[in-house]
Amino acid sequence: MAQELLEIKDLTVGFLTEKGFVRATDRISLSLPKGQTLCVVGESGSGKSVASLAVMRLIDYAGGVIAEGEVHFQGQDLTVKSQEEMRRIRGNKITMVFQDPMSALNPVFTVGEQIAESLRLHKQLSAGAAWSRVIDMLRLVGIPDPEVRARQYPHEMSGGMCQRVVIAMALACDPELVIADEPTTALDVTVQAQILELMQKLKREMGMSILLITHDMGVAAEMADRIAVMYAGVIVEEGTAEDIFERSRHPYTHGLLKSIPGLSGERGTELYAIQGNIPRLGELPAGCRFSPRCPFAAERCFREEPPLLPTPDGHRSACWLESGPEVKTS
Amino acid sequence: MTEYLIRRTLQSVLVLFLISVVAFLLIHAAPGGPKSIMMSPRVSPEVAKIQERNLGLDQPVPIQYVKWLGNMLQGDLGNTFKNNIPVGEIMWPTVKNTLVLMAAAWIVSLIIAIPWGIYNSTREYGLSDQTASFISYIGFAMPSFWFGIILQEIFALKLGWLPLSDMYKLGNEGDIGDLLLHLIMPVSVLSLGFLASYMKYARSSMLEVLDQDYIRTARAKGLKERRVVFRHALRNALIPIITILGLDLPILVSGAALTERVFNWPGMGRLFVESAGQREYSMLMAITLVTALFVVVGNLVADILYAIVDPRVKLGKKGGVSA
Amino acid sequence: MSETQSAPLAPTGNPKVSRRPPGALRTGWKKFSSNKLAVVGLIVLVFFVLVAALAPWLTPYKPDRIDMMFPNLKPGTGNHLLGTDELGRDIFARLLFSSRVSLLVGFSVAVATVMIGTFIGAVSGYFGGWADTIFMRLVDVMNSIPLLFLNILVLAIFDPKFIYMILILTFTGWMGVARLVRGSYLQLREMQYVEAAQAIGVSSWGIIIRHLLRNATAPIIVNATLMVGSAILSESALSYLGMGVQPPQTSWGQMLSNAQEFMLIDPLQAVYPGLCILIVVLAVNFIGDGLRDAMDPRKKAMMSPRRLDQWRKSFSKSKI
Repeated sequence: MAQELLEIKDLTVGFLTEKGFVRATDRISLSLPKGQTLCVVGESGSGKSVASLAVMRLIDYAGGVIAEGEVHFQGQDLTVKSQEEMRRIRGNKITMVFQDPMSALNPVFTVGEQIAESLRLHKQLSAGAAWSRVIDMLRLVGIPDPEVRARQYPHEMSGGMCQRVVIAMALACDPELVIADEPTTALDVTVQAQILELMQKLKREMGMSILLITHDMGVAAEMADRIAVMYAGVIVEEGTAEDIFERSRHPYTHGLLKSIPGLSGERGTELYAIQGNIPRLGELPAGCRFSPRCPFAAERCFREEPPLLPTPDGHRSACWLESGPEVKTS
Repeated sequence: MTEYLIRRTLQSVLVLFLISVVAFLLIHAAPGGPKSIMMSPRVSPEVAKIQERNLGLDQPVPIQYVKWLGNMLQGDLGNTFKNNIPVGEIMWPTVKNTLVLMAAAWIVSLIIAIPWGIYNSTREYGLSDQTASFISYIGFAMPSFWFGIILQEIFALKLGWLPLSDMYKLGNEGDIGDLLLHLIMPVSVLSLGFLASYMKYARSSMLEVLDQDYIRTARAKGLKERRVVFRHALRNALIPIITILGLDLPILVSGAALTERVFNWPGMGRLFVESAGQREYSMLMAITLVTALFVVVGNLVADILYAIVDPRVKLGKKGGVSA
Repeated sequence: MSETQSAPLAPTGNPKVSRRPPGALRTGWKKFSSNKLAVVGLIVLVFFVLVAALAPWLTPYKPDRIDMMFPNLKPGTGNHLLGTDELGRDIFARLLFSSRVSLLVGFSVAVATVMIGTFIGAVSGYFGGWADTIFMRLVDVMNSIPLLFLNILVLAIFDPKFIYMILILTFTGWMGVARLVRGSYLQLREMQYVEAAQAIGVSSWGIIIRHLLRNATAPIIVNATLMVGSAILSESALSYLGMGVQPPQTSWGQMLSNAQEFMLIDPLQAVYPGLCILIVVLAVNFIGDGLRDAMDPRKKAMMSPRRLDQWRKSFSKSKI
């Protein structure tokens, strides 16, 4: 296996609510080898965004805390670093691409100023050098007339353009790891494909690793080397993209796959939908967290929570079912 | 930008025009209007007719309005009918005095309120925030003129530290030190309410901005928290505050009038209250228009500042401050 | 997409049958009553209402009875609890009877502004077009006039009568409610069920009224409560300036105007009426804030930074 760039061990992130301390992620473990793309897939409320903010230690500003666990990045544990130390890593070695590009950019500064800001901070570039790098970056992410565009404000650009700017901002300092939190969700479908393609291309050219957070199995299919499926704060299945798409064992993963239009099932069959809703924070059911929605739930599933264990074919799944759900369907 | 400014200026002129019409109609079409005051009931109907004609009161109201407006635009504000002195002669000095008072109170409340509100937004529900919230409650609920009277009783009558009222000590006119001494109490009274509301605005505006995605982006860049707050958040938080500063001007003018009455400040507000008691209609009209002009120009300045701070305005996408 | 599904729970799932949620009124009251300031405000307001209603039975003196034999008595002299003023009138009696004026002005102006504001806002928001343009320009103009000046102007022209004061305060106070209701209607117009309602023949007014009751009641009530406070303050200011309540009637603002003239002789005279205004308006504002918080579902839990830091330290493993 390649060298691990990012290794998350037993990460528990929590918030204080009226009901007391609530875990948004519960002892999750993930690893991302250098140069690969790890997709964390799950519904909203599964804790996937919280986990990504915890890696950046931005969770401190969102009212949450890292209660236990470790986040090793290039061999250093980020969870014990001070914010001052984290500042040197954030925006430099680890950068982020956010969901809604229009609101992720500050409306009162030009896009050029916003990209130049990290360059001047982390690379100590002069104003002139930073600006020419800004132009290069804008050209790299496929923005026409970069000299003109750099002097424009976010509201003067389309959503797709803005997301290109955000990507340029994330890549400007040549990071090791880019965390992309639903980078295409807020965009038009045609633009979505362009942005994904751009990210693939840039990853090849610049050699960074990507931690991609998404609710969309289709996006994961296009981007991922490895996939982790999250549900209600835990990882329910984890493996290579092939493992997940070909040999998924968890009923939840299975449900997610079946709900992609055109990926499984023949044309004309009714689109599958997982029944019910994800439980809210602090209102977890007993036993397996997915049991109330699981079509295969047995008596044991309502009592005991299944651990994430290796499957015979070498990926990991958290389910009491002896074999994959496919067998049970009959 | 230019187009935006032209449009806003035209709107301002329209508002001014509407205000002048309303004020004129109120005074001239009302049952207790100029006719009943200017005419002594003892004069014979024939003499009354002649007087009416001399004053132009026999003509239809619209014509009277146009004539009056023409005079106004030429700087002729009319005469008082008590002593037949030109209104402007009495009014302009009081306008200056009121501006001194308002500017002082406005600056004091801004200097205290904005930084304090911003600080409190970063330490929600802390001791400083709770104190500010207490002051806000008092500031909103206390009659400002009563606060003034209490200050007078304590600092002027009981302790004797500050002058009881007026703008200068007799014979000291123009002495800046004396003026500042006389300003302390009126400014405290006038600024309390504004302190309370600006502090609240600054805090809530800042809180809202700090919750935005682009603040998270700024932090994700690894910027220092100070830079996040003062560069990325503050500029956005100032945008709604600027609008509110403009919208609050009428309240500032009203508050100044009350304060002037309490401290016998020789200002326009006090003159207005006195003129209302004596039904000096020309004076009332003139002061109404001057205050309206002040407010409208103030709003225009606020809008220009807004356009400078917020790049989104340049395209004319902003739907107007109030609509 | 799977996350937008909201189908009922699978039969194998959670055996707990969902209970009927408690009524909005009851949860609102629960939240309101947990707000100490709001409850204190309510108690104080009820107290003042009782005092105003029972004023004649609480003092043997008439507020307007001049007794030149005993002017400027110290508090507690004779039977005069708070002494007498420069005309020998009993100050305590005047305070009691003044509360009637303040509360009457406060509540009637609040009710009247809500009615006018709601009507204008509803018409403006629902019908849009020229009606909306005219009303909103009017709001702009009204908001750029110093309203105290307008009040004085009108009262000077029409004579300072009590009923005129209520009318002019109403006329200059409706803009907030109008904006609020209009905003609520702009949302309504976007909703599809309006089209549905129109299609089955519900009249415009039917839609307006039903929607108003459902969606705008809470903010209107809050606004009306705060209006009570501001009307009381306006009344006191006008009366202080001699443009409001006229003798022999009495009000707190008018008493202050008197008291300032005689503050060298009796400084305490200025204290009582102002305190009364402050307390009543504070009480009303506390109630208003309590109502707003009770009706705001997004209300954050209040926690001091020190507690928050302690909490973070106890749970967090990282340095902050």
